[in-house]
Amino acid sequence: MTALTELVREAGLAGRGGGSFSTATKLELAQQHRADLIINACDGEVDARKDGWVIEHHLMDVLGAAAQLTTGRVRIAAQRDSVTIARLQAACVDTLAVPRHYVSSEESSLVRLAHGGPARPLTRYRPITAGGRSETGRRLRPTLVLNAETVWRIQQIRDHGAAWFRSHGTEREPGPRLVTMVRGVARPGVYEAAAGMTFGHLGALAGGFTAPVGAFWLGGLGGGFVAAADAPVARWSRDGLRRWGIGPGAGTIDVIRAGDDPWLTVTAALDYAAGESAGQCGPCMFGIPALFDDVAALRRSPDEEAVERLYRRLGQLPGRGACHYPDGIAGFVRSALRTFGEVPQAVPARRHRHLSVIGPQS
Amino acid sequence: MSSTWLWFVSRAGGIVSLALLTVVVTLGVGSAGGRRPSVMTVGLHRSLGVGLVVFVLVHVATCVVDSYVPLGWISVVVPFAASYRGLWVGVGALAFDVLAAVLITSVLRHRLPAGLWRAVHWLSYALAAAAVVHGVAMAGADQPVLLAITVGCGATTVAATGWRLLRRSPDRVRRSSVRARGWT
Repeated sequence: MTALTELVREAGLAGRGGGSFSTATKLELAQQHRADLIINACDGEVDARKDGWVIEHHLMDVLGAAAQLTTGRVRIAAQRDSVTIARLQAACVDTLAVPRHYVSSEESSLVRLAHGGPARPLTRYRPITAGGRSETGRRLRPTLVLNAETVWRIQQIRDHGAAWFRSHGTEREPGPRLVTMVRGVARPGVYEAAAGMTFGHLGALAGGFTAPVGAFWLGGLGGGFVAAADAPVARWSRDGLRRWGIGPGAGTIDVIRAGDDPWLTVTAALDYAAGESAGQCGPCMFGIPALFDDVAALRRSPDEEAVERLYRRLGQLPGRGACHYPDGIAGFVRSALRTFGEVPQAVPARRHRHLSVIGPQS
Repeated sequence: MSSTWLWFVSRAGGIVSLALLTVVVTLGVGSAGGRRPSVMTVGLHRSLGVGLVVFVLVHVATCVVDSYVPLGWISVVVPFAASYRGLWVGVGALAFDVLAAVLITSVLRHRLPAGLWRAVHWLSYALAAAAVVHGVAMAGADQPVLLAITVGCGATTVAATGWRLLRRSPDRVRRSSVRARGWT
């Protein structure tokens, strides 16, 4: 184990892409296998902006850390036709242009894409950091995939030390952490924050909330909701959100305004989710559209049988499939049901203001 | 050794093998082309597939042991080596070899690359065709009943294959529509 890995372990850095897995453990495995490096700056989660922000403001730090992490090839992955990839190409960085699909920025999708395959997730029997095989049996080189913010944090730890890093955040989730404030605040954008902050504090970073908050939507499709009434006791960390069955995820915070119909947001997100399956695993390519149909049908007319079907399907989605995308969607719907009522609310007769289109933007 | 019962046993073994092969192929085509097959379908496909080997061995062994026709042990394995009706016995030998390959790769499936097992398993279509041709050529001329069964088996396999080719399953439709979105 190198001194840098030791330092990262001491700092307690966890992956900032949403998985919160120990970065030092991944680094150690990568060194054993002499892995290449892909830095993920796709901002694949719905409404996420922070990877692009890191590339815009701290590209040199990211490249500096990357050079210390591997002697192999280093590439930065970003969504095709995005501002971020244009910026990277202008800086003459070795890039990986990723198709604009939700699951294409998943770790194994990126590794497959880097080997000339489709950017779709792969069933793995060991971490892709140690290498693997494509579904046609092609050998995939050991490849370490780290989120852009994670790599930037590694450079900060090199510059300022583990003690500085641990002086931010909480004991169990140390270090500064980026948050993307999406809507409902005076100045939407990316801000430096840390685990353990209150929602009031996070809102203040972005100039305060512009309207009374009904609920917070955290972590996009991989996350869920916290009602405004619960917000005072919630903290922005895995521990502080455990009671609501979610975590900070990829660090997005959206606001559903008090008085707005939350199910409009939920169904729009679910509609988008249903179209984002990679079409490889049954529970994903049929299960997620089925969830959307259930929720949409219940909003037209609630009936006992449809409710039972929805809950049965929610139980059938998790734990199957190559990339756990359906697990995230099931968790998202469960969170919505817990927060906004045990049954999707039927649409009242009056017309609703239509919601903005949900999806990854550049 | 030559006696009429050997001859009858050999023919019976052949026709039973063909009938079982048709059932196995049809079940296999059905599971591969349709929705997720039931445990029952897969179980039948496997156990009948192994079971039919017994009848094939009876068919082959009695042919060779019966001295009414001159057939050596070599010619049942090596295609087109037989002096007696070399071409059509050869087709049978070919089918025998393919059957052996399919069986061995299936037994070792989890120790082989997935692509190898799949490639060899695709040869089952050739196996079914060869078995029918062998049957029509060897037993068609003098026995209308055997001919009818053989042709019936062939027609069943063709129908199953046609079904697989033409079927637009929800699975296939969804996969191809997702693939069309562009992933590279």
